[in-house]
Amino acid sequence: MYASLLSNRYLTSRLIPLIAVAAVALCVALVVTVVSVMTGFLDMLKSSGRLIVGDVIISSGIGGMPYYDEFIGELKSLPDIAGATPLIDTIGLLRMPYPRGDQKEIAQVQVWAVDPISLATVTDYANDLYWRPAANDAAAQAMADDDPRKHIDAAILRDGQTLTQSATGTPGICLGMHVSVGNARQKDGSYLPRYGWFMPGQNVTLTVVPISSQGKIAEPREQIFPVVNEVQTGIYEVDRNRIYIPLTEGQRLLRLDEAPVFDLSAEPDASGRYPIVAQAPARVTKILVRAKPGISANEVREQVDRAYAAFSLRINQDRREHKRQAAMPDFVNILTWEQQLRDLIAPVEKEREMMRVLFSLIYFVCGGLILSIFWSIVIEKTRDIGILRSIGASRFGVMWIFLRYGLVIGVLGSGLGVVLAWLIVRNINVIHQAIGSDAPPAIWIGSFVLTGICAACLVVYAWKGKLLPILLWLLGTVVLAAIATALMLHHGTLIWDPSVYYFTMVPDQVDWFTAWTTAVGGVIFSVIGAAIPASKAADIDPVEALRYG
Amino acid sequence: MANPAANRATLPITTPLIEARAVRKTYSFGAVPVEVLTGADLSVQPGEWVAVLGSSGSGKSTLMHLLGGLDRPDINGGEILFDGKPISVTHGKRLDGYRNRDIGFVFQFYHLLPELSVFENAMLPGMVGNWMTGHSARRATARESAGALLESFGLGHRLAHRPGQLSGGERQRVAIARALVNSPRVLLADEPTGNLDTVTGAGILDLLAERHAKGLTLVIVTHDPAVAAHADRIVKLDNGRVQ
Repeated sequence: MYASLLSNRYLTSRLIPLIAVAAVALCVALVVTVVSVMTGFLDMLKSSGRLIVGDVIISSGIGGMPYYDEFIGELKSLPDIAGATPLIDTIGLLRMPYPRGDQKEIAQVQVWAVDPISLATVTDYANDLYWRPAANDAAAQAMADDDPRKHIDAAILRDGQTLTQSATGTPGICLGMHVSVGNARQKDGSYLPRYGWFMPGQNVTLTVVPISSQGKIAEPREQIFPVVNEVQTGIYEVDRNRIYIPLTEGQRLLRLDEAPVFDLSAEPDASGRYPIVAQAPARVTKILVRAKPGISANEVREQVDRAYAAFSLRINQDRREHKRQAAMPDFVNILTWEQQLRDLIAPVEKEREMMRVLFSLIYFVCGGLILSIFWSIVIEKTRDIGILRSIGASRFGVMWIFLRYGLVIGVLGSGLGVVLAWLIVRNINVIHQAIGSDAPPAIWIGSFVLTGICAACLVVYAWKGKLLPILLWLLGTVVLAAIATALMLHHGTLIWDPSVYYFTMVPDQVDWFTAWTTAVGGVIFSVIGAAIPASKAADIDPVEALRYG
Repeated sequence: MANPAANRATLPITTPLIEARAVRKTYSFGAVPVEVLTGADLSVQPGEWVAVLGSSGSGKSTLMHLLGGLDRPDINGGEILFDGKPISVTHGKRLDGYRNRDIGFVFQFYHLLPELSVFENAMLPGMVGNWMTGHSARRATARESAGALLESFGLGHRLAHRPGQLSGGERQRVAIARALVNSPRVLLADEPTGNLDTVTGAGILDLLAERHAKGLTLVIVTHDPAVAAHADRIVKLDNGRVQ
């Protein structure tokens, strides 16, 4: 009981332990904040990745997979599969409508030829369409006058969902939000047209190169598409490179569409054409599959694997019996979304773990800080230790006073650190917004007023000739003057640049596993830091201690 | 004030309560050993008040520390007995218990803990101990005892004050209350009036005499013959031996 009484009194009767509590709190808050943001970033990356490619991806070689509709039909009949969609994934060149004049900008793009309706059942495509009319009049009124969303036609959303320009019936194209330089991201995450280039309604020319299954390059083919909408997935790499066109247009451009099979052994007709004996099926290079809620991607991957093996066996058997015109490819990759996006996710995971390890070094700072503070306290309290020993306190009892003292500092500091981190992380976007905006004049004017008050106190103490107050007020004046000046000159800095961090918003969820492990680590290292001075205290000779001071 | 002569006349001859037998103690100051006690003998009967008189550096405080179990004699340097049992070979919890229950210390410079109130300082020995051995019951007793002692010492209105807010005499009274709170059998006082003016010092000696009259065994070490004169018996410490 005396140990708790004394350690509590040592804690509350002096300033140094409170500084130790603050130091532990800052260390813990720093680790929790950094790792929480990185974990949130990783989680966003993973959830976005899943929403972009579905749960399982079936990829074939460049020759593509025939009979995909039939296979998708079989996949949909499986109990754990919510949907599947065909896709052609290739690269192309996009001739932009800007700048004015003959020399137009050319962008290299990732072309996704999709069936937009089924794509929306597998991915978040429909929700990712950026341009859509305001939800209601109040929302429209809240938008800036130069915000295109205030004036756009309701058809723009439908056109994006069908990849068709409804006014003309022409197949349309959707661009990733950052494919065009015409979209300027605002600080609130919205976009305004730049240089007058609002892309929906503009025509772009897509050029792709068909490649045969033997790997031979055919004549490049191009097509003009009207831009019907733009897509914001939140992953900058995707939004910067990807465009969406209708599947049939992609198949046609890449020569993966249905084609007649000629009988070359027969005599050609009068126009020199051989007789058509069959139709070769259209092909796609990928199939994206979505699992039903609660079903893991790995479970679905195994089901798809088995389904494909059975399907390809049957098709290939039919092919040998000349019932089919094409065979299924022998080798396809069937991967979960995590496996597919491994090159994107793995570096971030490694980076997070490295940050966790590097920032964990801060535990040693905690421990060292507690050790040095407690060492000085033990020296200061040497006589008290002698008194305690003279009234019968054991060596362990004396040691426990300081261990408990360290424990209390660790628990208080870690607890405060977790609370502080929670406050920072939950409000990180507000903080980011504030850093990215001009400082309100009231704040920097207020800071200058405080600087003036500090300076006045400095003069008063300079007159009295007390060195410590002079130093402290001088320090306060200089620091406040620097803060006030920095605030006055601050015109907003975008720290979370989406071109670097993929996402437009900073993750604002606390990683509670990290929070609790860091807090426990903070407590353990505080106790370890206290253990050395506590052992020294226990070893003090009581007779020497009573003579001390 | 107690009458030393009357006490001396009524003391029965029994087994000494606390005893030093041919105690030697050497301190090393760097490479130089200094023998402070060179074979000191002291025997204190239950209920006796003994004053150990000696000049500065004669080893008075060392003898008191040895009697109180704070220090040990040299190896093969005699022994300290309490109630006929050697304590100089006792270790750990038993020695801590001896200091906590059987002995009370009073120091020249009071040695109160500045962070604790007067009441907390006085009851501190009652809070020290092993909780597994009925410590909580003893703590409750100590709480009552500390309150009663401080009240009887005229400090009832100072219970919540800190030592820094008290005069020297008040601090020493708190230190005596602390020494007595566990009802020890022996009170060891090292120059208890050495830091006080004459009047205040006399008050402290009266207080000690009052406790002695109630049967408390007292050993006071002092360099002041006037203080020693209050004791039943005066022994002189010279050249590391009791004369």
